[in-house]
Amino acid sequence: MPWPPRIFRRSKDEDELDEELRFDLAEETRLRIERGESPEEAAAGSRRDLGNLTVLREDARRAWGWTSLERLLLDLRYACRTLRHSPTFTAAAVGTLGLGIGICCFLFSWLNGLVLQPLPGARDPRGLWGLQASVSYPEFESYRDETGVTSSMSAFLGPAAFSVGVEPGSEPERIFGHLISPDYFSTVGVEPLLGRFFDAETERPGAEPAVVVSERFWRTRLGADPHAAGRELRINGRPATLLGVAREGFVGVFPINPADIFLPLSADPSIAPELADGFLTDRNRKDLHLVFRLAPGVTEAQAEAALEVLRRRWNDEGGELDPNQNKRARKAALTPAGGIGPWPREFSLGSISFFGLLMALILSFTCANLAGLTLARGAARGREIAIRLSLGAGRWRIVRQLLTESVLLALTGGALGLATAWAMLKLVLRSVGQLGSFPPPLEVTPDWNVALLTFAVAALAGAGFGLTPALAATRTDVASALKKVPGDGLRRKRWYGLRNVFMVYQLTAAMTLVIMMAFLVAGIRSGGDGNPGVDVAGLSVFSLDPARDGLPPDEAAAALAGLPERLRLQEGVEAAALAHPRLFQSFATPDANVTVPVHGTSAAGEPDPAEAPHRVALRAIGPGLFAAMGAPMLRGTEFSERELRSERPSDMATPAILNHTAAEELFGDADPLGKAIRQDERVYEVVGVVQYGAPAVFSEKAAPLMLQPLTMSDLRRTPAMGLTVLVRGRGGILPADLPGRVERIDGRLTVFRATSFADQLAQMTQAVQSTTAIYGSVGLFALILACVGLAGLTAQAALRRRKEIGIRVALGARVSQVMSLVMHEGAAMILAGGVFGALGALAISRFLASINEQYAQVLASGVEPSHLLAGPLALFAVAAAACYLPARRAAQADPLDSLREE
Amino acid sequence: MTNPEPPPDRLEILQGTLDMMILRTLQWGPQHGHGIGVAIRSSSDDILQIERGSLYPALHRLEKQGWVEADWKLTENKQRAKYYRLTRAGKKQLAVEESRWNRFVDAVARVMRPA
Repeated sequence: MPWPPRIFRRSKDEDELDEELRFDLAEETRLRIERGESPEEAAAGSRRDLGNLTVLREDARRAWGWTSLERLLLDLRYACRTLRHSPTFTAAAVGTLGLGIGICCFLFSWLNGLVLQPLPGARDPRGLWGLQASVSYPEFESYRDETGVTSSMSAFLGPAAFSVGVEPGSEPERIFGHLISPDYFSTVGVEPLLGRFFDAETERPGAEPAVVVSERFWRTRLGADPHAAGRELRINGRPATLLGVAREGFVGVFPINPADIFLPLSADPSIAPELADGFLTDRNRKDLHLVFRLAPGVTEAQAEAALEVLRRRWNDEGGELDPNQNKRARKAALTPAGGIGPWPREFSLGSISFFGLLMALILSFTCANLAGLTLARGAARGREIAIRLSLGAGRWRIVRQLLTESVLLALTGGALGLATAWAMLKLVLRSVGQLGSFPPPLEVTPDWNVALLTFAVAALAGAGFGLTPALAATRTDVASALKKVPGDGLRRKRWYGLRNVFMVYQLTAAMTLVIMMAFLVAGIRSGGDGNPGVDVAGLSVFSLDPARDGLPPDEAAAALAGLPERLRLQEGVEAAALAHPRLFQSFATPDANVTVPVHGTSAAGEPDPAEAPHRVALRAIGPGLFAAMGAPMLRGTEFSERELRSERPSDMATPAILNHTAAEELFGDADPLGKAIRQDERVYEVVGVVQYGAPAVFSEKAAPLMLQPLTMSDLRRTPAMGLTVLVRGRGGILPADLPGRVERIDGRLTVFRATSFADQLAQMTQAVQSTTAIYGSVGLFALILACVGLAGLTAQAALRRRKEIGIRVALGARVSQVMSLVMHEGAAMILAGGVFGALGALAISRFLASINEQYAQVLASGVEPSHLLAGPLALFAVAAAACYLPARRAAQADPLDSLREE
Repeated sequence: MTNPEPPPDRLEILQGTLDMMILRTLQWGPQHGHGIGVAIRSSSDDILQIERGSLYPALHRLEKQGWVEADWKLTENKQRAKYYRLTRAGKKQLAVEESRWNRFVDAVARVMRPA
């Protein structure tokens, strides 16, 4: 046996003992012959008096002081051999454990990376708070200076895009960053790795432009230059001094959208276009996220109350306080800011419970399956163990041997699990969007903690499912076990009962999982291919960001506004239009509360309490967009060139286009044209209704969408994602041609993210698809595992009763009668599992809905019930087949064969 | 496989006394495992019944503890055998065990036949 490698001393000891014993036997035989015994008698007597060789060898091994490692190696070798001799069992057990542990490890890594992980690079991240709503700069100053509940407060605007050039004349790169208030770094607790951060002098309005960068920017783009502080970078075409480098790991607050460059909010609008048009004094531009620490002794409730008072004052000053607005969404709610993303506590709690429950279900399910497998195997090995006991093996020795086998299985499964988790994470990570040059610092590779946890769970599971059968197996009455056929007798019956309990639990867990996963998959898939109703043939998109190309705001706006018209004049271009990039985000998240004034278009005056608030996604588009996309206007018209060229805010009602869902939600069957819609203090007038929008997740309908015109002020301050331009070509226009075409129109503009609309759609739906794939595979995994377990159990039951079956068949029972005999038990278990599983899924979803509003909404959304039935029906069908096949084999066996067996 | 009942006039030896008897036997000079067994049996007039096999783990244990040493030598019949020899530490150990044994026997005797 080449494995494990023999240890030299051990082999010498063993050889010496053998030689001693040989000598002993020879010597004894010689003496007995001398005493007059016949040679045969002498040899037998000599052998008999020597005693039990197995016990003797074990004793001697103990005397040699075998290290536990050597004993382990011996056990391992034996375990490997036995496992190799039952490949089906081994494959089933390792596969079960591998997938179970893999899925759990994946879920935990995901949860850990997204929710549990604290903000990298920050001091005491648990003490950082933010507000759920974003605020304007004057509001921030008043919160900071007037409440007294915080020990330090800062604010940031971001992610904001910067075009950053490292060397003069080099090609600039789009890097995302934060525009920060004073005390941003000190509030978060970040130290400079190099140089220094902003101070009163560098934050003075009109100061020389200065920036701070992240450690990874410094390392990858500046070659970790130790003298980088004081270097000059080009930011949006303007020179700026590099003040310092932030500590390693820190990439801004909420690093799900990482920031690798930091500029003060006092920076000049020429270098930070977001700040144009007096951002610091405009109370309507609520783009700032707060980050603060509570003053000593101040509770979260006290802070919320104090901030709420101020918030109300600010809202009162700004006009009416709408009592009907969604109070929950409007309250000054503290949100933990020391995590990866701006997750409200409810979200974190919901994620932890959801993932935790899922993991517990899968892990316990896996263990139940393994326990069933091992129990069945233990019963089949009763004879082997009895033989080994009678040959002198100690009980503890056999228990340890069986445990070694289980742990070996568990560890192999654990290793397979890690590989599975890694593969799944790879798959999902590929679909996580990356905004700029740097990926978000998501620690969702299976890190060492997760790996250790996985192995701990695997080893525990191994010990757990190994121990009970091991002890039971060694409690065998040697004599009866040797005489009897495996599976006979009352004792077996009891173990068989325990196996049934495991089986029902497995079917229950499988049913719960299948129902939950079917719900998720059906819900996610209801979005279809994500096409909002666009004719994608010949449609291309690209992004522009003239302000970051170094154009002054007015020139940038003019260049953008004129571009579609000039593109249309080009050969082969059928249509071109502008849109805010948020229109094309994969989920049209509602972000605005709107109401319909009851009294027609009388926009002015107090809001009527009867006005019900609606939540819609508010997006901005340029003229001719829907015509270019091929989405039909159901009523009215699109925005015109006049609105694009106008300024905002105007005192006139803003024109608005609703998509079909919003029109129905807001106005029902009534004609929405000319009607008024109010959002905070702004009033809109509906000018058109468009058929546009992909069905949202967990809904059969498109998300309600309200569109307002892009204006010159929007074009002056392009968003971080740039501005999107759509081009429909008459065949032959490739996305790759677009940069050249734009260059010919205006050499100052840099095109980025040029792609076909179809590709962009595919990219957006990739996240949805991989999520579906993961949940689908969890459900499939549960389904397969439960069925494998059931098939094994039925086969075992048939084996146990094969004598009885043989007699019955011999006496003339029909195949169908025998089969019903065998399937009877399986069917009862499937039914019990189905009912318990449905109840379990119901209970879990109720529980989740009770702690998290989002889940409640998802549950209330009502997925088509026929989608939900598919999962359980599949389970029933496959389980019945898993039960049927072994039963049929048993029933068709020749009765003589089974009766002839001892 | 079960062992035949030992004859009623033979005694199973007490746990732990085997080591002592082995050391005692080796006082007369180096001996191989089989010889030690024969010596114990004959010096107890065949009353002490020991399984020959059980000697070997005991010998290996004593060797491990450094109380005996072993060499492979040829017997008178030119066969290779492992000869065990008492070490200095083994002699000390024998003295310790002997005195302990004597105290044990005294104590048991006093209980069984109170003076």
